[in-house]
Amino acid sequence: MLKLLRLEYLFNVRQLLIILAIFSLYFAYAVNRVESPGVFIVTTSLMVGLGIPFAIMGREDKFKTAALLCSLPVRRSTVVLSKFAATWAAILLGLGYNVFLTAVLPFSKIPLGGVLSVKNLLVSLFLMSMLFAVILPFTIRFGFVGIIILLTGCQLLGIVTLLLGQLLGGAGIPLRLFFRAVERGLKFLLHHQATTGFLLVLAAGIIAVNLLAILVSRALYARRDL
Amino acid sequence: MEYALEANGLRKEYPGFTLRDVSFALPRGLIMGLIGPNGAGKTTVIKLILNIVRRTAGEVRLFGLDNLAREEEIKSRTGFVLDETPFYGYLKVAAAASVIAPFYRTWDQARFETLCREFELPLKRRVNALSRGMKMKLALAVALAHGAELILLDEPTSGLDPVFRRDLLERLSGLIQDGRTSVLFSTHITSDLERVADYITLLREGELVFSAPREEVLEKWAVVKGGPELFEGGNAVLFRGLVRGPYGVTALTPDIEEARRRLAGRGAVIERVRLDELVIFLGREGRREKEAGRE
Repeated sequence: MLKLLRLEYLFNVRQLLIILAIFSLYFAYAVNRVESPGVFIVTTSLMVGLGIPFAIMGREDKFKTAALLCSLPVRRSTVVLSKFAATWAAILLGLGYNVFLTAVLPFSKIPLGGVLSVKNLLVSLFLMSMLFAVILPFTIRFGFVGIIILLTGCQLLGIVTLLLGQLLGGAGIPLRLFFRAVERGLKFLLHHQATTGFLLVLAAGIIAVNLLAILVSRALYARRDL
Repeated sequence: MEYALEANGLRKEYPGFTLRDVSFALPRGLIMGLIGPNGAGKTTVIKLILNIVRRTAGEVRLFGLDNLAREEEIKSRTGFVLDETPFYGYLKVAAAASVIAPFYRTWDQARFETLCREFELPLKRRVNALSRGMKMKLALAVALAHGAELILLDEPTSGLDPVFRRDLLERLSGLIQDGRTSVLFSTHITSDLERVADYITLLREGELVFSAPREEVLEKWAVVKGGPELFEGGNAVLFRGLVRGPYGVTALTPDIEEARRRLAGRGAVIERVRLDELVIFLGREGRREKEAGRE
């Protein structure tokens, strides 16, 4: 798998640097505006988390390298694992970069200790896992088109829900309920006390969500014709 | 006989195309040419062997091993040149090879560099900047640099100039001299195969027409020309891919001896067949059958 990781990184190193450079601007802006370390680390991590799979999968589609990868002496399941590993390595790189900016930028309002708290890191990793559990299987199975399908699907679902809400009275109630649930969930995660039990549940959640996403991705990738 | 490659009842269903129960075997140390018109299923067969596409049914064995159960081992002993050369375009030739090399325990860097020199491949040029022919050469250099026992080539000569094509064919002939290396070679340029192939496998519309030693094919099949009456009645079963022209009928026969016996003294012209004629006649026949099936 290390060989595959090396391949992914050599192939995408410039793109990863470009992403980090672009996000640097936002991060620099955010450390000056956002006061909550939890909100800062979660939002910036999610941005990196969205950017990396877009870059990696998009280039795989562009150069049609998936066929080459699957012709090499590796199992498809290993290819899937390497994609998860490559993405997580990039995310950790992004987190490290966030911490670095937080520490060195003189106008930062974020205390470094707040960003580096176990709870904040686990919450951002948990949210990232949730995001990837949805995005990665799609991109692994359908490539870049998968992300487009997913985003378009979400858009259409939103439109249909809005229209139904308006037609049936009580405009947008299902959507409002959904967004409120997400908001409540995020608040719960961000404001819950960092008890050992809570941290253990978060860590278990991260592992479980990732394992599930890997299993689904493996099953989907095994069915992919290249 | 020891086989490098065996395909048994290989089937792949796509919307609008089905590769139907294809079976053939390539003995070790020989070259097999995979021929057929466009859309015959040649690339699908190669992709099924490499497990790049999933088979619907059937079995593929390489070196006696199942290609799914022993995928890693099999692929480490197999080299490939795909129709579309999916290399990392952003990388330079040397870097593209360096990311692939660690996957093969038997990778020979010196051999790779020698091959690049022989193929006039600039190591410092980006893959994106290479022509299609040069990309083919890169794929070939990669395939040869790890001492593959089976080399799968999908249209390797398309995009190559005649000089390099001749070099490639001579190289392939040289490769199999060790009695260990085998080659499966799909191509439209059937004249290439007449030079080097030991076996010929012909596909048409997703079906196997035949898979046999080249000499046997060229000895058994023939082109027959003559008046329309020669191809009618009881003789009709002898002929395939009939083409009616202003001066008579031309057709293929898979049994030259029987055709000679039945048409003796009746003014028929019986000529040795060329591989391109087999593809053309049987391709036309396939298209006609397909159209008739639609009606």
